[in-house]
Amino acid sequence: MDKPTDKDTNCGSGNCGCNGNSKPDGTDQTFNKVTDRRNMLKSLTAGLLAGTGLVNSACSVTASDDTREKKSLEWEEYFKGNYQLMTDEEKEGTVQRLARLYELNNGKHANISAQGAREDVLYGYAFNISKCQGYMDCVNACVQENNQDRGSQMQYIRIHEHENGQLNFELAEDDYYHEVPAEGHFYMGTQCFHCENPPCVEVCPVKATWKEKDGIVVIDYDWCIGCRYCMAACPYDGRRFNWSNPQVPEEEVNENQHYLGNRLRKKGVMEKCTFCIQRSREGKNPACVEACPTGARIFGNLLDPNSEIRWVLANKKVFRLKEDLGTEPKFWYFMD
Amino acid sequence: MLEKVKLVFCISIVLTATSCWHEDGAIHHVGHQTINEQLNARSVDSIQYAISSEEYLKDLDKVKVDGIHGEVYIPNRSNHLNSFPCSSCHTKPLNELGNLNSENSKKAHWNIKLQHAEAEVMNCITCHNDSNLDQLRSLTGREINVNHSYKLCSQCHATQHKEWQGGAHGKRLGGWAPPRIINSCVNCHNPHSPAFESRWPARLNTVKLIEQTAD
Repeated sequence: MDKPTDKDTNCGSGNCGCNGNSKPDGTDQTFNKVTDRRNMLKSLTAGLLAGTGLVNSACSVTASDDTREKKSLEWEEYFKGNYQLMTDEEKEGTVQRLARLYELNNGKHANISAQGAREDVLYGYAFNISKCQGYMDCVNACVQENNQDRGSQMQYIRIHEHENGQLNFELAEDDYYHEVPAEGHFYMGTQCFHCENPPCVEVCPVKATWKEKDGIVVIDYDWCIGCRYCMAACPYDGRRFNWSNPQVPEEEVNENQHYLGNRLRKKGVMEKCTFCIQRSREGKNPACVEACPTGARIFGNLLDPNSEIRWVLANKKVFRLKEDLGTEPKFWYFMD
Repeated sequence: MLEKVKLVFCISIVLTATSCWHEDGAIHHVGHQTINEQLNARSVDSIQYAISSEEYLKDLDKVKVDGIHGEVYIPNRSNHLNSFPCSSCHTKPLNELGNLNSENSKKAHWNIKLQHAEAEVMNCITCHNDSNLDQLRSLTGREINVNHSYKLCSQCHATQHKEWQGGAHGKRLGGWAPPRIINSCVNCHNPHSPAFESRWPARLNTVKLIEQTAD
């Protein structure tokens, strides 16, 4: 297809475009269009999908009503727009389709929310290095809350065990398994820092990831093409990739979901901490904050002068990681 | 013609610059403004929240904290103590109960071993009121209600108390949204043995471990 066809080069026909002055007619434009490999594949795939979908959804007389409904929902889902450009009704439409699809596929109800950012809210997080004991209860809570892949043991949170007197992540132990806190060590958790100036958002070629009004950096799993540019751009190792189809035991699925949060993902898309958007936008604390038995994790509204997080920022000596990069994380560390 | 091209070029540059996807008002380094100065400038006073932590703690029996500006609550303690009020057993003051080491001494509280400060600093009656066991006792002999035991703790742990009042120490219950409902000192720390114990981590990521040992 890359090469011009015979017809293009053959001047014997009066229809061809080699005659300097005459323009190709409609037939020529359609059938002799010079196309490249990428466009050809694109149109072939779209055509194939359209064909399959249509045959299954509309024309089938053998398929059950459920199958037909499923196919028609999948068809609509496949051609939906970018979440950021959707109206509120369209957002409601897509979450309802996703919930219905989950019900048809698994026979269980999922409550998927499209709750937008709350007014006058900008989320911030503080982590007390003196308090963290390295128990990792936060990691367990996070995995369960956010339906993370059990197969690859995906974890948004990492707890780094540092030796006292240094703060070098190269030398820190991320996979300790001994009684904690270990003598002469301290513990530091990292996750997505929800930067105000997020480099991951900057590099996404398809605008599948962005910063919401309340400061949460989110991903549309249906728009992500899995190029992993964002993973490379993040200076904090905050993003995770689904190398395989995520496995979550049916009975462990958290059915309280958000479109931009913990709804079930698929193979080949990015995901990361969303400050538990399905919880935080309802006024709850993220699962890690709730699970922490030491109170090392503090979460709240940065725009509220009476919030705990604002008290920490105003009264404690706080720092952030790699401040020189100008990413402006909304995740601060402090000590007693 | 050249003018037209220039004009179109200029317009397209302006359009590209203004059609940026980023919304305004983000926190960025503005000169030498600290994060607190920036947040102060963007703060919203008396935010009308559509969400509340209250609905997540409907069943919690709450007590308002004294000494903190605004509405801050802690869980009620006296309602959840197994043998409260203490006077249901302690009908007499402690000194009339007799020598605790004698054969006839009561076998209650045998499991309590005080691991809190040195013996020179603390014993039972540093906190408990030996003449009225239903109340706690301040260093100056004033009575303190069991539900407000944080007042007792704050006598020595002034820094922790200040940070607990502000929000840097302690644990929030319910959610981040107001009202602020927090644990009291004794909800996390056993007053007789307040230190956190060491234990095993909740999990080990075996996949990562295999990857690391393979390297």
